[in-house]
Amino acid sequence: MKKRGLKIVALLMVSVMTVGMMAGCGSKKEEKSDGGKTTITLGMWDVKQSPFYDEAIAAYEAEHPDVNIEVQITPYKGGEYWTKLEASAAGGTAPDVFWINVLHAESYFDGGILKDLSDVAEEVALEENYPEALVEAYNFSDQQIGLPKDFDTNALWYNKDIFDKAGVEYPTDDWTYEDLVATATELKEAGLEEGVYPFVCPVDFQTWYYPTVFANGGWILNDDKTETGYADPKTQEGIQCWIDMIDQGLSPSSSVLAETSADTLFGAGQTAMVLAGSYMTPEYLTNDAINKSIDLVEFPEFNGEEPNVINGLGYAVFEGTKHEKEAKEFVAWLMSEEAMKLQGEAGTVISARNDAQHFFADSNKEINLAAYTNHADKAVPLPVCKVAAELYDLELSKLKLAYAGEESLEEVCKELKISADELLGTME
Amino acid sequence: MSKKIKKKATKREKKDWLVAYLFILPLLAGILLFYVYPFIQNIWFSFNDVNKFNVATFTGFDNYIKMFQDKAVWQSLGNTFKYVLIVVPVSICLSLFIAALLNTKIKGKSIYRTIYFLPSVTMAAAVALVWKWIFNGQSGVLNAILRAFGLSAREWLQDPKTSLYCIMVVGIWMVVGYNMIILLAGLQGVSKSYYEAAAIDGAGPVKQFFAITIPLLSPTIFFVLITSIISGFQVFDTVYMMVGKGSMAFESTQTVVMLFYRNAFDYGQKGYAAAISVLIFVVILIITAIQMIGQKKWVNYD
Repeated sequence: MKKRGLKIVALLMVSVMTVGMMAGCGSKKEEKSDGGKTTITLGMWDVKQSPFYDEAIAAYEAEHPDVNIEVQITPYKGGEYWTKLEASAAGGTAPDVFWINVLHAESYFDGGILKDLSDVAEEVALEENYPEALVEAYNFSDQQIGLPKDFDTNALWYNKDIFDKAGVEYPTDDWTYEDLVATATELKEAGLEEGVYPFVCPVDFQTWYYPTVFANGGWILNDDKTETGYADPKTQEGIQCWIDMIDQGLSPSSSVLAETSADTLFGAGQTAMVLAGSYMTPEYLTNDAINKSIDLVEFPEFNGEEPNVINGLGYAVFEGTKHEKEAKEFVAWLMSEEAMKLQGEAGTVISARNDAQHFFADSNKEINLAAYTNHADKAVPLPVCKVAAELYDLELSKLKLAYAGEESLEEVCKELKISADELLGTME
Repeated sequence: MSKKIKKKATKREKKDWLVAYLFILPLLAGILLFYVYPFIQNIWFSFNDVNKFNVATFTGFDNYIKMFQDKAVWQSLGNTFKYVLIVVPVSICLSLFIAALLNTKIKGKSIYRTIYFLPSVTMAAAVALVWKWIFNGQSGVLNAILRAFGLSAREWLQDPKTSLYCIMVVGIWMVVGYNMIILLAGLQGVSKSYYEAAAIDGAGPVKQFFAITIPLLSPTIFFVLITSIISGFQVFDTVYMMVGKGSMAFESTQTVVMLFYRNAFDYGQKGYAAAISVLIFVVILIITAIQMIGQKKWVNYD
């Protein structure tokens, strides 16, 4: 009898362990059914934007007592957000609503994991209320698979302390590239402290050379995405202007910048000026080492144009969502005037809605945040295609040789065009 | 099969088997689910074009053909071999040396053992980050020391000539403690009487080390060798953390696993990445097979 009892206990234990394991594996999303509420999950990556969502969600839930919004934050760094999103989408457990960017939009559309939000777009009068370039960036085969929530542009930040010490005048909104070089030279000649540079030129496409390439009439991708424009002398001039500044000793060498980012150098007071996307604003403003002495101006004019690249995030709804109606309602609300105002006032990102763009600049009157929005209408969207991630890596692997002075820009661009065009050919 | 050998199992035996299988079921389920199934799926994926969302389209040997033509594959394989060829022998010699020292009667033995073992229990990513700062060209400790001695500083991790060696140093530093503990356990299994006999016969410590310690420790050394080579071929986190894409040394430090990672997670080409991982598997399999054959010549199982 006793033996039999033991056996039963053992069996029980084994089955409990097995069941426990199985439960651990299948991380099936449990619908919280507290009082018949529907739970909508929102997937995002930026912790800096959670204060806005806390506020917005509280407001939304008050209006919709039967809906419960749950925020899922996954870090962007190292591609973690996308890796997790792709895996959960494949497994059917992706968040109902999630952030998406232009870089991933097309391949996610192809993967069939995004709902067509054309009805929501109509509801919020998307074309009327939102910048055309951003709306189009999320439109494929007449399906609006993403709704632009915010955008980012680039501007020139400077550290007043360094300028004051050197006795050099601050930059202004009407600066040109030539003024930037002249002032950087002046700063250098005035004698900066050891390890402090006038400016920084990392191999960075979005914030540095794409704006000048486009302002100069150069191009990266043709319209049907079959050819790259690296061989165009106008494209090369838009890149060469930054390499020149390294050669003139106005920026640390590319090997220094490969190790320490431009943002880190600016944050440590080691560079007088830096170009930065609007998404860097919260980080700079919360950095106690510099936040009392920094301000910004528009991206310096190049070739008589206002250079800038516009990029931004959007909301998407997961194709496999079990609560399509509620998810769409929530997204529509996030795109409303009310929510866009809240988002802008939080001061972390520029709300995409035309009538809400100014709230970002208004969020901090002490500095010239309008530098980001003044010419946003002239900014060029990031060139994207299905192999964009690979293309950017390829570009970096070649251009870094020119930045380091190992090969001439003309030479590397010739090689780059061949491999890049070949890469484009792999898209079906 | 002959019926003579295969006796019919009694009812009682069958019951025992059932219970035994039930006991290993939790572990077995884990292995089947998390090792065997992904392994098979990976091989299947390597013959497919797999998109970001795991939708597979059969493409036959396309991935393998692409792989053999891909310069990056050969370069990263070369980098990985270089890494293994240096890290494995150096780390084993070092850990053997330290283990032998710590097997003697010295004060504070357990403190030393702990110190040497610490890197093994630290997260590789954290280790890599700290070493990245040490090697930093502008503000790194290493350059500060070199400058203090009037030597010239370098961009250690940015220079293709030095970068891979820096990563090897970190790799050795991380693995020495772990190998040392295993070798130490092996050393403690060696009977003292051998040494006493050898001492009476007039053998010095060096002679004793090569004539007694090494042969008697050979099964342990063999084990350490196999595991070190396998983990050497899988080196990833230190490279990933220490050398960025913008570094001039990126191409000369990229390992096969790193290349696999980029294709799978940066570019969403999971089929191609699967083919690369099959290549890593085959390389490790061949090398391990060679070692299994070769061990008969030098490993002493008495």
